[in-house]
Amino acid sequence: MLEIKQKARELLESGKAQVVIGYGKGPNNTTRAIFVRKPEDADKLVLDDTCVQNLALYIYKHEVRHFGKEAVVATLPVLRSLLQLASENQVKDNEIIAIAITPDNKVVELDSFAAIEEHVRLFNTGLTEDEKDLLKKINAMGLEERWAFWNKEFSKCIKCYACRQSCPMCYCPRCAAEVNQPQWIPVAAHQHGNIEWHIMRAMHLAGRCINCGDCARACPVDIPLNLLTYNLIEELNNEFKYTAGLSASQTYVLSTWKLEDKETFIR
Amino acid sequence: MARIGVFICHCGENISATVDCGKVAEVTSRLPGVAYSTDYKYMCSDPGQTKIKDAIREFHLTGVVVAACSPRMHEPTFRKACAEAGLNPYLCEMSNLREHCSWVHPKGDVTTEKAIDLVRTLVEKVKKNESLMPIKVPVTKTALVIGGGVAGIQAALDIANCGHKVIMVERDPSIGGHMSQLSETFPTLDCSQCILTPRMVEVAQHPNITLYSYSEVESVEGFIGNFKVKIRKKAKCVDEKDCTGCGLCTTLCPQKKIPSEFEQGLGFRPAIYVPFPQAVPNKPVIDKPNCTYFQKGKCRICEIKCPTKAIRFDQQDEILEVEIGAIVLATGFNILKTDFFPEYGYGKFKDVIDGLQFERLASASGPTLGEIRRPSDGKVPEKIVFVACAGSRDPAKGIPYCSKICCMYTAKHAMLYKHKVHEGNAYVFYMDIRAGGKMYEEFVRRAIEEDHAHYIRGRVSRIYEKNGKLIVKGADTLLNSMPVEIEADMVVLATAGVANDGAEELAQKFHVSYDGYKFFAEAHPKLRPVETNTAGIFLAGACQAPKDIPDSVAMASGAASKVAALFSNDELTREPLIAEVNRCAPPLFSTCTGCFLCQLVCPYNAIEREQITDRSGKLIKELAKINPGLCQGCGTCVALCKSKSIDIHGYTNAQVHTEVLALLNEYA
Repeated sequence: MLEIKQKARELLESGKAQVVIGYGKGPNNTTRAIFVRKPEDADKLVLDDTCVQNLALYIYKHEVRHFGKEAVVATLPVLRSLLQLASENQVKDNEIIAIAITPDNKVVELDSFAAIEEHVRLFNTGLTEDEKDLLKKINAMGLEERWAFWNKEFSKCIKCYACRQSCPMCYCPRCAAEVNQPQWIPVAAHQHGNIEWHIMRAMHLAGRCINCGDCARACPVDIPLNLLTYNLIEELNNEFKYTAGLSASQTYVLSTWKLEDKETFIR
Repeated sequence: MARIGVFICHCGENISATVDCGKVAEVTSRLPGVAYSTDYKYMCSDPGQTKIKDAIREFHLTGVVVAACSPRMHEPTFRKACAEAGLNPYLCEMSNLREHCSWVHPKGDVTTEKAIDLVRTLVEKVKKNESLMPIKVPVTKTALVIGGGVAGIQAALDIANCGHKVIMVERDPSIGGHMSQLSETFPTLDCSQCILTPRMVEVAQHPNITLYSYSEVESVEGFIGNFKVKIRKKAKCVDEKDCTGCGLCTTLCPQKKIPSEFEQGLGFRPAIYVPFPQAVPNKPVIDKPNCTYFQKGKCRICEIKCPTKAIRFDQQDEILEVEIGAIVLATGFNILKTDFFPEYGYGKFKDVIDGLQFERLASASGPTLGEIRRPSDGKVPEKIVFVACAGSRDPAKGIPYCSKICCMYTAKHAMLYKHKVHEGNAYVFYMDIRAGGKMYEEFVRRAIEEDHAHYIRGRVSRIYEKNGKLIVKGADTLLNSMPVEIEADMVVLATAGVANDGAEELAQKFHVSYDGYKFFAEAHPKLRPVETNTAGIFLAGACQAPKDIPDSVAMASGAASKVAALFSNDELTREPLIAEVNRCAPPLFSTCTGCFLCQLVCPYNAIEREQITDRSGKLIKELAKINPGLCQGCGTCVALCKSKSIDIHGYTNAQVHTEVLALLNEYA
């Protein structure tokens, strides 16, 4: 933790970065994102087990960009988000410094996508065994049982859009849910509109979700939203050997076609 | 306020037999926004069109719905009629009552209800239609013909004779295709080379034709009138300008035992070779994988002995970029090899050959100089069996179709054999004799009656070798399936015609559709047989389906006339039904996020990047931009765009949404 503070201070003092996005303590012993702009404030940074929020959410916000060159305390999901955002043209190379931790607990400064890609390769990026077990449980349900399960879960939704606001991949300035000419997705939090919203969100994340889990954590009514994305991640891995957020130059799996792609679902 | 006119067509009895057209007109006349509604026996007829024109003028219609047949048939008719009455043609839409309702349902109230629903839906859509103006694009008056067989040659000559430039690309060292391999042609028995080679020479000499032999198409971009094609000229290792075609190198090359592709493996060629004596261009190429110098680093005999010093071992593949207005695909077909048939020996019996190999044996320029000698020991076969439908019309082999040419060429083979081996016996096993064509049936009768070929109606179940003979086991279905066993000296399989090697990759390169057998698909099986579904790309010859020389030539001339018609205008008019990225006021400029995932998905490479800068040139935002000349209006980008920033004219989100609501009986 000491090293993180040092690295942040160093970056701010040398002028290599004007703002360090990291975790700090909030009221009532909560952990939240903080934006450190002065070297002396670097001491406020923390990094412990409570630091789970995906900070990549902030890097493209114009309020943060406005501060100048950004550095970010980067856990694995943050790094993968950065690479995925890069492949979608939302961040540029050498624009952001990532302060990352190696598997043997050393603090490193990654200032290019190439360096981030190399770093990400040191970690396991597939679903964990626990996640796979959960997925198995859901997929073991029959069609009707599963439909009933999701209907029950979605009936709790209050359309607060916390899932969307917490997701670094939901960067559209005008979300499709807000298009009202025509209004494809009803605004009201009724059963029908809730299902439409969550299906759309899952589809928009197919091949893009890097499995940070923030949507499920942000949900105030505890809908297990990440179960939807687990399935998409597994499916794309099985069908196309594709994992999102591993390289800044990878092409989006759903808009590219290769001769060796399976077409079993068509025939 | 919308004033929509609704016109219900009976289509003779095609629609009115099951749909109560009068009721559809009556119910739809009461829909909100419908100013006029009527039904008529033939809306596409002149009086029918006049009804539409008169109603537009009289009721000041702001939109027209014609409920009739498929828009693929008559949409242009009705849009033109509307335009003549002063209404923007894109305010007219067609509801397909015939294919979507009357043809597929029995007569009844429910069918009429469905017809009303279909019309009602479209009325709602037309209320949201906008006036659109056609797009004009320039035309590059150069055609690209791919494949130098008889179809490609005919197409190229016809286009060139209309005064347009033609570029011909041929994969092999010489043009000529399969026809140049044939000995004689049915039904006249004239020599194939004698009628083909003058055309080949004409291609080479024509001032409007540029021939790239030993070349392949690398990539295709663009659209009708404006294709950009990259051609890979494979390294021939021979300077075409310096080479005189004397052929000395081919006689000196130490590699002499390479199976010749032209001779179908029955003859040999050196590593530096001209495929056949009449080849066009008559300049050799070096077959690198078989050349001693390229494999072992030593030899260079051809280079040393060449009188004009034309050998270039260091020659590299060259990529040419050409601008093209129209493309004719004439890539031809292939036949199954004998190793496809386990029951006929998997190709391990040397004297079981395919039809093309027999052509080479019968050809005066072939490996036996026109004498029928069997490949194993060079003996003249006394008994020869021809097996028609080897693979063809056999669903178990995955080829349920008829290869069309085999009946005729098998009769020809039997005849040629009898003309050369008078005392020999020719047996033909056949399923049916399909000899539809001018002088075709007479030709087959001649083989049977004058040349005494023994025709046996039945299939061959097995062929095996015994004491130097090939035992052919079959049945004669005209004699109550009596088993037939023939001790033959040679067997010729009329193997099925199949799509050429690489047909699938080529189709994908050109974005043309293909059928389950990988033959290229025509736009309409009857009315648009030489066009593909991709505008500006046409088909000629056996790449579309197996066909004989007259059919290939006719199709090639058809494709050429399509190209000539396209080139008769300086500008092309294109439908304005294309996609567009939205724009809005600053600071957003567009809801497009610039993720450019759409750029990859576009099959026509129509999406570009547009930079929005401030007055000092500083980049504010990068957006997707759709090139109206390239966009085909397929809508793939619309479906992919997560922020719904792309819309397609004529099928906007608002239009589709209102149609869905109308079907659900909820009006927005």
